[in-house]
Amino acid sequence: METFDFPSVDLAYLRSTLGEPEAPTTQKIIDHLDENCLAFLAHSPFCCLSTADSAGNCDCSPRGDYPGFVRALDPRTLVIPDRLGNKIADSMTNILDNGRIGMLCFVPGMTETLRVNGTATVTNDPSLMAMLEQDHSVPDLAIVVRTEQVYLHCGRALLRAGLWDPEMQDLAAEVPSSGQIWASTSGWDPTVGDVIDDAMAGAYRSLY
Amino acid sequence: MLPLVVSEVTRETPSIVSVRLASPDGEPLPLWQPGAHIDVQLITRHERQYSLCGDPADAHGYRIAVLREEFSRGGSHYIHSFLRVGSRVWVRPPRNLFTLADAPAYRLLAAGIGITPILAMARHLAAEGADWQMTHLVRRREDIAFASELAALGDRVTTHIGAEAGRLDLAALYAGLEPATAVYACGPQRFVDALDDLAAALPGGAAVHVERFEPKPREHRPNEVFTVTCARSDVVVEVPAQRPMLEALQGAGVPVEGSCLRGICGSCAVTVLEGIPEHRDSLTGDDASMTIYPCVSRSISPGLVIDA
Repeated sequence: METFDFPSVDLAYLRSTLGEPEAPTTQKIIDHLDENCLAFLAHSPFCCLSTADSAGNCDCSPRGDYPGFVRALDPRTLVIPDRLGNKIADSMTNILDNGRIGMLCFVPGMTETLRVNGTATVTNDPSLMAMLEQDHSVPDLAIVVRTEQVYLHCGRALLRAGLWDPEMQDLAAEVPSSGQIWASTSGWDPTVGDVIDDAMAGAYRSLY
Repeated sequence: MLPLVVSEVTRETPSIVSVRLASPDGEPLPLWQPGAHIDVQLITRHERQYSLCGDPADAHGYRIAVLREEFSRGGSHYIHSFLRVGSRVWVRPPRNLFTLADAPAYRLLAAGIGITPILAMARHLAAEGADWQMTHLVRRREDIAFASELAALGDRVTTHIGAEAGRLDLAALYAGLEPATAVYACGPQRFVDALDDLAAALPGGAAVHVERFEPKPREHRPNEVFTVTCARSDVVVEVPAQRPMLEALQGAGVPVEGSCLRGICGSCAVTVLEGIPEHRDSLTGDDASMTIYPCVSRSISPGLVIDA
């Protein structure tokens, strides 16, 4: 496979090209969730977690649940339940390794997103686990986030993407199914993909 | 579900708000009787059950009251922090699993937020001219919700403030009741469990009717696989050991609606036509009952036939 060797710019070049952010842009970054950010989070059913191990290897993974599933215990402390998943647990192993997290939270229909950066730990506190029960299912673990930076990210990215435009959903039909992708990456016959798709349709009925 | 809007939010105590829900177009709402509750679905899709505590004659609004819980599973937290006048909610029409039966005398017992159905009952009994007494238990004086409404009911209402008067002697209270008295009680788990235990220990004593917020702890058999034949839908559903029967039925497209998923609200009730159900809910008093709540209950026989 061809490897590319593109020129890399340095920070001085980057700054000279972009300029510096306007003061109001940096002033909106606070260290906690104010009343409006709390309201944003209370209506958000989806977020992406970015974490890295101590060597700096990065990972970004999705989390979704009932709106408000990322619960603010106070304006600087958030709790994210760990639901049924693939058990690879990249996010949590990274958190155990380097203890830092970045979050990007979405509200369907809203073009702005909420960015939260801070430190994180993994807990099994029984009171928190009971609090995070959903549809009969009590999680075994949860991520606790201590916020350091919180700010609303402007909506241009989602506007350009047309992310909430219902007509954009026709894109999904053009993408290979999850079974096809899985079979291909695992080196299995494409017919196995159909079996996986059928199995996933059943498995997706148990969300918790 | 009825699409309603919040028309009033009132702080009743430091930890309780009452919320009035009305139809957006001012249309009258389905009627209800004291003891009834509604299932309220918030915009976050959390669905919770709340007793109606307003005036049944108010055909344009339902009033509920909600306690702020420190470790809320989502509903109480959202209502206390984010619900506003104008917020949209979706409501299943009132159902009553806590109806007042005819009795020569009534003793109403409300602990904490358990005041909600009991207040509606007290108002009804007062209007009917019934023989009734009510004891309202709260921890501190500032925890008395609906104080002026209770005061208007007169001296049949006794308020017991635990922080000032100490623990109420529930056993003495119960032992002092005429056997024909009907007891209606609502409150936290420990309180209703204590009453249930008192009634069980004194056969022939006053009949106790309780409403629970939390499922009654029950011993049950280990989960086993069983099949459910749905007579009307003409399908046979296998219920795996680790999956609730309701989920299996819904997964097979059988039209059964659930709400609390904890065996306390009664939304998912279905009738068993054949087989021996294993009741694990907090509503069924008679193990031989053929009404089953599939959100928690299962089967003793290898198969059930249900009317669904």
